[in-house]
Amino acid sequence: MTEIKKVLLAPLDPVHDIGLKMIRRGLEEAGHKTYLLPPDLPVEEIIQEIIDKEAGTVLISRTLGYGVAELLSRFVDLVDASGLRDKVTLGIGGMAVRPELAAELGFDAGFGPGTTVEQAVAFVEGREISKEDTGVKKDKQDITSSYSYKFINKSMGNKLEQVAGQIRKWAKDKTSPGVKRAVAREELWDVGRWRNRKGNDEFDKEYPHLCGEQPKNYYLKGELHPKTRRFTREEVIALEEFLQETKERIMLSKVQHVKSRPVIFNQYGTGCPFMDIGHIKASEAWGADGVVHFDPSWGARTEGFFDGFLTHQEDGTVITPANLNRIHGALEPSTLWQVRAHRGLNTPETVILAGKLGADMTKINMCYGSLGAGTDPERLTVDGYHAIRYAIQYGMSFDVVTNEELAGVPAHKAFAGMLIVSTLGVMLGGKPILQPLFAYSPEAMVGEQMEGNYVDFNAAKIYALKNIIDAPIWPGAPIGFLTQTEDRVQSAMSTGLHACLASSLGVDAISIASSDEAYSGGPISVPSKTDTLKAVQEGFRFFGSTGISPSGKAEQWGERLVSEIDKVIDDVLQTGDFVQALYDGNLGTREEGAYPGRAGRDTVEHTVT
Amino acid sequence: MTKALNHVMDALDVETFLICDTEDEARSLALELMKEMGFNDIDVVNLDFLGVGARVRARAYIHRSGDEYGWLKMDKEVKLDD
Repeated sequence: MTEIKKVLLAPLDPVHDIGLKMIRRGLEEAGHKTYLLPPDLPVEEIIQEIIDKEAGTVLISRTLGYGVAELLSRFVDLVDASGLRDKVTLGIGGMAVRPELAAELGFDAGFGPGTTVEQAVAFVEGREISKEDTGVKKDKQDITSSYSYKFINKSMGNKLEQVAGQIRKWAKDKTSPGVKRAVAREELWDVGRWRNRKGNDEFDKEYPHLCGEQPKNYYLKGELHPKTRRFTREEVIALEEFLQETKERIMLSKVQHVKSRPVIFNQYGTGCPFMDIGHIKASEAWGADGVVHFDPSWGARTEGFFDGFLTHQEDGTVITPANLNRIHGALEPSTLWQVRAHRGLNTPETVILAGKLGADMTKINMCYGSLGAGTDPERLTVDGYHAIRYAIQYGMSFDVVTNEELAGVPAHKAFAGMLIVSTLGVMLGGKPILQPLFAYSPEAMVGEQMEGNYVDFNAAKIYALKNIIDAPIWPGAPIGFLTQTEDRVQSAMSTGLHACLASSLGVDAISIASSDEAYSGGPISVPSKTDTLKAVQEGFRFFGSTGISPSGKAEQWGERLVSEIDKVIDDVLQTGDFVQALYDGNLGTREEGAYPGRAGRDTVEHTVT
Repeated sequence: MTKALNHVMDALDVETFLICDTEDEARSLALELMKEMGFNDIDVVNLDFLGVGARVRARAYIHRSGDEYGWLKMDKEVKLDD
């Protein structure tokens, strides 16, 4: 049991004693006896109070900067002169105090701005302050757990189930090079053997022949992708040391204030797993709850994965088992980890690798991947179907992104696609997460829905989705896209405000950009990530449990969105073939900016039964 | 590179307000300022010129992806106090 201390708290300021009052409350809650003196007493009187109260600890506060050194010096001299120095422990804190000044003047401790009550209590009790005293305790959150996935709009739900049923029936007896690699990765690649460097002989023999030219050349001839290199042994050892030290020191913080949602994700993908790990650790410390892996754009158009611990000199961190494994090992236990699988030729295998290496979530959407990211609709529908099945097998939820909106596809068409894929996911037993964009999209630029404010059209999207299905919603990606500029204050502010709108609308998660979002001249810097985390945190602190009130337009637009989505689903149903609907433009036309991709065209095969 | 710069994770931004006559002059001055400070891999991230002068943020990349990072302690010691 902790010894009860007599603590005298003395503000050496005309008025500022709030900090000491908060510390007094903490000390009293911990069972200590406290004496809080009024502000601005002469130091002689404070000395007398120490004697009279027989205080064992004295905490002085000083906020004003002028004359601080002289005043505190005089106080310490008087403590010495009165013979108290060996009998009391002296602490000093406040805005004007720096630890080095306190030490120089002979105080036992100095507490600068940002000191917590827990730190002050630990000082009084003579304890070392631990991470548990100062850090925030965080648990990994499952944002899907409270949802039933039941349709609110039963009529639309019925149609969506018909379309999803058609996809299921069409896809289940089809395969592709991507699915074959996924089967090999699933059946022949044992992660435990790989981690223990025991090799997976059968996989190693078969896999290269399932890959495209570049990965095949890597396995058979040792040729790396031209923009990548292997890390040296010295670099790996240095990374391990950096990581160990950082994990010991890291203090986590929380962006949320009074609400537990939305969960905050940010993205990494500098090209280099080392730099990613540096960014991730900073993001975690500044409050990110989850991180999303970005791979290079060429990765989506390459049949197969490379292997090895590789760094890449351009944006996007190459997916290899070793890269993912190192990044996963760097995460705090509470951090959600998403590896995107949504858009390319490695979709199902990405899900398996992510699942085997410990990812919590993935990202799958055949509509965006084939209309906005260059993969053939038929190929991605087969691969996406299998990817969803693997996500379910590995217990991963997945978001269904609607980034085709950024190409110009109107929200109602992108949402129809998202709802079709999500319904397929639910039908197969999965936990999809709806990912509408909070963006100044081309549709809104041309249609002027955001001319007056950024609130109503974004709110309309959430209202519409909530009126269709009881499912988790995770606006992204990132929120505020195309509203941010290169000015970091504006950029962080815009992200912060969109986050507050998301919170007000009761969504489950958000992806936030860095304040470098609009800067295209170089890589995103780590301070730009802490900028936006701070901005969102301050926004949540400001609004607390209150919210933003959209105008009546949001409801009107929300209702209109629902009826427009319904019409698109009717069109897809009438086509009778989801893949054909993608080619035909039912879910986004070429004029709107949706171009059915060509990567992987004519690679789908029927499975032999 | 100085030892303190080894500790910069990726980029170092310099933010200030430049007295100048035009936006072009502000951009030139910002880049010149970074060169005077000894940086080579530089850019102007943001610049607002509104007649009075320019609010500017210039950037020097100290470590780009794929570089050898000074903040990783490899064969050389990077502590400031050695």
